[in-house]
Amino acid sequence: MRRRPGISGLQSAAATRDQYRLVGENVAKIRTDLMKEQLETFRSQLEDFARKHKNDIRKNPTFRAQFHEMCAKVGVDPLASNKGVWAELLGIGDFYYELGVQIVDICMATRSTNGGLISLQELCTLLCQKRKAARDPVSEDDCLRAISKLKVLGSGFGVISIGKRKLIRSVPTELNRDHNEILEVAQGQGYATVEQVEKTLSWSSGRAADALETLLKEGLAMIDDGHRDGKRRYWFPCVAPISVAAGSDGLGIDS
Amino acid sequence: MAAASSSAVAHWLPTVPLTASGRPIFLPGEVERYLLPSVDLDTEENSSLPSLLSGLLVLTSHRLVWIYNTSSSAHAIPLAAVVHAYPPKKSIRHLFATPRVRLQISLGGRSELVTFVLRGKTDPDVFHGKLVEVMRERAWEREEEKEDRSDARREAEVRVRMPVVGVSGILRKEQEMWENTDKSLQDAFQDLNALMGKAKEMVQLAEKMRLKLLSSLTAQTNSNDEEMGSKQDMQDWLLSVGIASPVTKESAGALYHQQLSRQLADFVKPPLEKAGGMMSLVEVYCLFNRARGTELISPEDLLQACALWEKFDVQVMLREFDSGVKVIQNKAHSDDEVFSRITSLAQKPDALRKGVSPSDAAFTLGIAPALAKEHLLTAESKGLLCRDVSADGFRFYINLFKEIDPDNIYSCKTPGLFHAWISATTVSG
Repeated sequence: MRRRPGISGLQSAAATRDQYRLVGENVAKIRTDLMKEQLETFRSQLEDFARKHKNDIRKNPTFRAQFHEMCAKVGVDPLASNKGVWAELLGIGDFYYELGVQIVDICMATRSTNGGLISLQELCTLLCQKRKAARDPVSEDDCLRAISKLKVLGSGFGVISIGKRKLIRSVPTELNRDHNEILEVAQGQGYATVEQVEKTLSWSSGRAADALETLLKEGLAMIDDGHRDGKRRYWFPCVAPISVAAGSDGLGIDS
Repeated sequence: MAAASSSAVAHWLPTVPLTASGRPIFLPGEVERYLLPSVDLDTEENSSLPSLLSGLLVLTSHRLVWIYNTSSSAHAIPLAAVVHAYPPKKSIRHLFATPRVRLQISLGGRSELVTFVLRGKTDPDVFHGKLVEVMRERAWEREEEKEDRSDARREAEVRVRMPVVGVSGILRKEQEMWENTDKSLQDAFQDLNALMGKAKEMVQLAEKMRLKLLSSLTAQTNSNDEEMGSKQDMQDWLLSVGIASPVTKESAGALYHQQLSRQLADFVKPPLEKAGGMMSLVEVYCLFNRARGTELISPEDLLQACALWEKFDVQVMLREFDSGVKVIQNKAHSDDEVFSRITSLAQKPDALRKGVSPSDAAFTLGIAPALAKEHLLTAESKGLLCRDVSADGFRFYINLFKEIDPDNIYSCKTPGLFHAWISATTVSG
């Protein structure tokens, strides 16, 4: 393509540009075809996999967890959408989305008692009761995944780690570090007093009282003034050893 | 011109009523099977009937519904009227032309040859295959049979389940579980590894696609149809593999989300009215999935679908509060109206004395307490209310500071808000 002077040179330059553009578009087009081809091969591989192991995924939580880890490593999200090949062929979507709905139900039902914080153990127990119909077993890992999906809906769904335990939060209340530490202190007996907090965490009395009052206001703590020593105890249902599950019949959670 | 020609077609093809969001109203038992964008409907043989250009074609179990691009009206061809569907021709001449699928239709005593021109870069063979499959099923004839059959199936299930009673039953179940787990897990992990290897290739390709998509979306705003078609393809492809695709102002996201978005807008209207015009996104998620039963949608699907609402002309909108709570709100339901109701509530004698708590507001406004709290907080940020924080919790009072004249703090205009407050609070003692 020699550069020619004058108008014809400009015209031929424009023509060659157009040609390059067409070639570029064709390359893109080939890429699209390549995409489709790749998807087809992948899809058939996935179908084979699904035929052999769909049951394993449903019945075996460890295998399921492993599957998720590998997907995460590769960079695909099998739960991203109901329309994906994963949901279609493995049926894994429905399992988690339904779990999400049940988790929301349980959180709503227990909110009046624990203010929106529920321990992961308790959630799993209540879930198993709710899913009594002896369907596929649910592990804690499954719950955590379902909750991480619910996060996008706003409304404050999240997981907090207090010591060894995990708590599920279902209200938009922000818990700062002070609150988390108080919850850790309360884990032992299910309640905390101002003195306990001051002694264990070496805080000033004002700070301890403030934090406990905030937790009370948010509905996460309940006051107990009935002890003989007259000290006010702040009970936290979410970390208390007495679980709500014992009285679940009265909460009206339908299965 | 369009009106005149469409009336001629209207005499021939039955119209389909659409919902307010542009989705066709389905017959009982009708299920959507396949969607094709950018389809023309031609009747080449009979030139007296004009063609319908560039619409959305929906293949359902009972009909072929063609929706105008503006989603204002639609026509349908019942599958019972399709006599024969010609497979798309494969010859050198047809390789470069837009794919066409021809149907022989006998409707209202007339026999016509209708051509669907698939301009939307969809595979005509796939469409033809699905069409033949759906026609073979003849779902429109099987309405009553279906009910009887499902009852029979349910009974059969009950009978087949083995009773697991007694210690031997439990032991047997354990044994089965063990055997199954052991055997298949070995293969399973091997297969999983192989699968993931393939998936990794796909992801690399997808990354390149995604960068291309992002760069082309931001770089140019002019669009010729070729480009738009391939972008749509890429979105759909990314979605099916499970990789987050960028939905920006220019792109409309995957076709699946567009349809879901319209479906949602229809579904959410009655519960929204019942809830007082506003519902949290989590509630909508639960409601929608429970109603669906199977083929549930993911939270991300829901979010994408809601985000697309601003592109269509629907009556609902997604709104995010400062605290991160996301709600769905009726467009007609304005904030000002809510504020006026809150202020009138806060000016009642009871409220002047004791203030308004979120549950009071929830009761009066007819919405959920969490949302009532959001409204009260927003009203406070606008200067209409003042908060009172005590051991009893949050309470809101009407903002009296505006009524107090800084130069003359003890003056009290009668009749006025300040006066009303004084008389209300001093009565009880």
